[in-house]
Amino acid sequence: MEVLFAKIRRMNAVLFLAMAALVVIGAMAIYSAGSARSAEILHHAYAAHLKTAALGLAIYFAFALTDYRRMLDIFAVPAYVLSTLLLFVVLVVGSEVYGGKRWLWFFQPSEISKLALILLFAAVYGLHGRLDGHFGKRAETPSGWKGLAMGLALIGIPAALVFAEPDLGTTLVIVPTGIAMLFAARVCWKGLVALLVACALVAAFVLGSVSAASRAEDPEARERLLARTHLKRHQIKRLQVFLDPDSDIHGAGYTLRQARIAVGSGGMYGRGWMKGEHYRLGYLPPTISMNDFIFAVLAEEAGFAGSALVLALYGGILFSGLWIGLKCRDDSGRILAVGITTLVFCHVYENMAMSIGLMPITGLPLPFISSGKTFMVVLVSALGVLQSVSVHGNADEADFRKEK
Amino acid sequence: MSARDKTECRVSPWFLLSLGVVFAAGLAVLAFSLYEVQVVGSAEFNKQSENQSVRRMLVPGARGRILDRRGRVLAGNRPSYCIECYINELQQRGGWSNTVNAVDAALDRLAAVVKLPRQKTRAAIERHVRQELAVPMEVYHDIDLDALSRFAESFRDFPAFSESVKFERTYPLGCAAHLVGSVKWDRPEFAVSAEGDESTPHFYAKENRGRFGLERRYDSYLVGASGERLILVDARGYRHGSWNGRKAEPGPDLRLTVDADLQKVLEGELAGSVGAGVVLDPRDGAVLAMASSPSFDANEFVPSITAEAYARLDGDPLKPLLNRAMSEYYAPGSTFKPITAMAALAAHVDPTSEYDCTGKFVLGEWHLRCSSRWGHGPISMRRALEKSCNTYFCNLGHEIGIEAIDEAARMFGLGAKTGIDLDGEKPGTVPDEEWKIRNKRGERWYPGDTCQTSIGQGMLQVTPLQMAVVAAAFANGGKVYRPYLKARDASDGAPAPVRTIGFSRAAFELVRMGMKDVVDKGTGYRIRTRPEGGRWYPLNASCAGKTGTAEVGVGANRRKNTWIIAFAPFENPTVAVAMVIENGESGGLTTAPKVHNLLASVFGEGPPHEGSAVNAGEAND
Repeated sequence: MEVLFAKIRRMNAVLFLAMAALVVIGAMAIYSAGSARSAEILHHAYAAHLKTAALGLAIYFAFALTDYRRMLDIFAVPAYVLSTLLLFVVLVVGSEVYGGKRWLWFFQPSEISKLALILLFAAVYGLHGRLDGHFGKRAETPSGWKGLAMGLALIGIPAALVFAEPDLGTTLVIVPTGIAMLFAARVCWKGLVALLVACALVAAFVLGSVSAASRAEDPEARERLLARTHLKRHQIKRLQVFLDPDSDIHGAGYTLRQARIAVGSGGMYGRGWMKGEHYRLGYLPPTISMNDFIFAVLAEEAGFAGSALVLALYGGILFSGLWIGLKCRDDSGRILAVGITTLVFCHVYENMAMSIGLMPITGLPLPFISSGKTFMVVLVSALGVLQSVSVHGNADEADFRKEK
Repeated sequence: MSARDKTECRVSPWFLLSLGVVFAAGLAVLAFSLYEVQVVGSAEFNKQSENQSVRRMLVPGARGRILDRRGRVLAGNRPSYCIECYINELQQRGGWSNTVNAVDAALDRLAAVVKLPRQKTRAAIERHVRQELAVPMEVYHDIDLDALSRFAESFRDFPAFSESVKFERTYPLGCAAHLVGSVKWDRPEFAVSAEGDESTPHFYAKENRGRFGLERRYDSYLVGASGERLILVDARGYRHGSWNGRKAEPGPDLRLTVDADLQKVLEGELAGSVGAGVVLDPRDGAVLAMASSPSFDANEFVPSITAEAYARLDGDPLKPLLNRAMSEYYAPGSTFKPITAMAALAAHVDPTSEYDCTGKFVLGEWHLRCSSRWGHGPISMRRALEKSCNTYFCNLGHEIGIEAIDEAARMFGLGAKTGIDLDGEKPGTVPDEEWKIRNKRGERWYPGDTCQTSIGQGMLQVTPLQMAVVAAAFANGGKVYRPYLKARDASDGAPAPVRTIGFSRAAFELVRMGMKDVVDKGTGYRIRTRPEGGRWYPLNASCAGKTGTAEVGVGANRRKNTWIIAFAPFENPTVAVAMVIENGESGGLTTAPKVHNLLASVFGEGPPHEGSAVNAGEAND
């Protein structure tokens, strides 16, 4: 019992409170968005949101009270293998929702694979020289070009599968998260820099092609330019809208325009809770107002003051996460901190930025606020892992066995 | 970061710190961009938001009334009860046609309850849903109170329907239809500008706009300032709420110079015959009454005239829609003779020199008969007026020539529009040689034409309104005023005459005396007195005037348009009249009694007396 209290005392309060606040804000926003819908079940979506958060919280505490090193030993490899298998399965038998095969029964395997990748990297790159390895011999941290190649392969498999669903948004979260962790693990520094440069070049090439295509007069040339990006039609559309928001305000650009109007009309203090117009009157498409574009609902009702509060809460999670990493005394804990905070940051940044046109539209939920069960459970659990690092990370300060 | 730290961990704390910097930068970019969008861009986005979700609907202001000179309502507004359907209440899932079906079915149920046939077809519902979804659809217009109460009893069964009160034009006195005119449902006035401009409404209800008459002439004066109602619509166009914007302002009342009592008397006198009459105030040209017969009921045009009713009015051979008082030409006949006399006096003809009337005026092969078969004998100007001697005036015209006659006629305002504030006025014709050549296939001017013109026949064409102006000019001693219908404001001051006729005072005096003789003992004695039961009822004012009987048409179509111009009281005239009755007996017999009754309604009648009215039994011209 004493151990339990000692562990709870070592948990990071800011990390917990910021998350709890965001879940409540999320429930309020979902309540607003759901009240405008005619389907009765959506009026209770906020309750589902809270229930899912409660379920996630159970896992959260279970993870927080378990030494993450043991967790990594047991779970890391099976979780990665299993989630990757599920990604295969979903491609074959998944149900199609809004033009993407993402759902398996009641959950989205792509969400699980995010956490699985983080756990695997923490295990592979963080547990060097301390434990018996998983591959039949004493673990040696992969490093150098070989280590980089291995890391890229481990990122690449789930990333490619998710991209194939297609779910560009999740791909754009998995890849930076993985690369940040490789950076943290100091795996072939030069190779990673080269990779980043290459990524930037690819992005520039794709955007350049799309931009050139929209300027091209000759339809054949346009098709040729678009074909070399190897993107799907709707993805190209989104990039075109990103490059020129006013180009197609009744078609592909409609959502972005409406999201911007909703966010912008919030003003300094917003219209007030339940008083947002854009989702209520259906200008913001109702199918996305609870999920990927919940921020537009929130920002319209709460104004810049509300947006700034939400940003501050995310800042609380990110910086307390990094603080936990700093205080941690081993590599796996720090890599976990890097992976989990980067995962949250990518979601927050991409989601908010797409709502105001800073980034192309990708279907990404906003952590703790968007209505989405798998995502909620996974992210709450991920913060649980981070709490575990906070509790168990510094062996000198937290040798609970010694006290026992 | 201790040395131990570095040795134990591969993951550098510096990496964590730099990641923190990246996160901070990312959040800062978001915060900055959100500030740009939400605070700096707030006004612009709010405007875009309004542009897409707020619809402006024009709400018409009540139209101003038209009042007579004493404030009696000639054209007013009455409440009209309508039932409106709020289509958003009947919104169905799925395609538009589901909603249209729901409204269609509800209208059938409503029709059974209010016991009125449906006024809106399914096609009308479809059009409304397609074009004006945000505004309530008027499904019944102007229903009676019984139907309204039937609807009110079942109000709970029809939550999507609501009654509304609009205003409908009404003409309660049923007179002066040609003056007041009527209205039609038309688009309200607003500036059509670029799309998205805040002054352009999205929706408007049709409102009453002037169709003809004063309603049209003073339409922009009468029309109220439209207000605005702002409607919140969802992405599909359904209404979600509304609130008041700019308030509608009622239009100002239009006060006329017309006296409704006199107007009614005039219309009563004209009733049953075809003709027109105009009563002016000779002191300033104010129109006291103006009527044309047959007339029509302006209420028939409200809310809109049926095709059959319009066809009936338009196809009627008596042309009830035609305002004969100013839009129809007549030959003035002998009522023109005072002008000929004025022209002669201006040409220094001696009025006392006598002409021997033999009953016939001969010009080569052409001759003209006088009203007195055996002739009036030697006759002077004043007596020629009294007796309306054709041969005297033929001779006079012959002496002074057509140019002098035309000049005088134009001075009195003939041959040109009087400029009354009513549309559709005709200018008339004062013929001269040039006009004849141009309009009569180059036929040249004969002396006979001069002769005809000098007695108001031939090619001379006038309107009753013009002759009223002539009567007023004789009454006031030579001032030609522009007749007007809209009462002047106190600040306007007295109107200046259009023209002061430059003939001598003595000339006017002589002709005025001649015209007084016409009424006192000449052809127009029936203006002065009215026989009833062997007694004579005289007018309670002295009066001067001139009769006229213009012969028009030839053969079987030959008929006489009978005229009177008159003014009273003689010394200080306040009323000037011109009246023409088509197809009458003679001015003195047909029209003079009507003018008597008209003037009697103003001045009253004196005590009756027995015996002969005057020596002049022949009420001829």
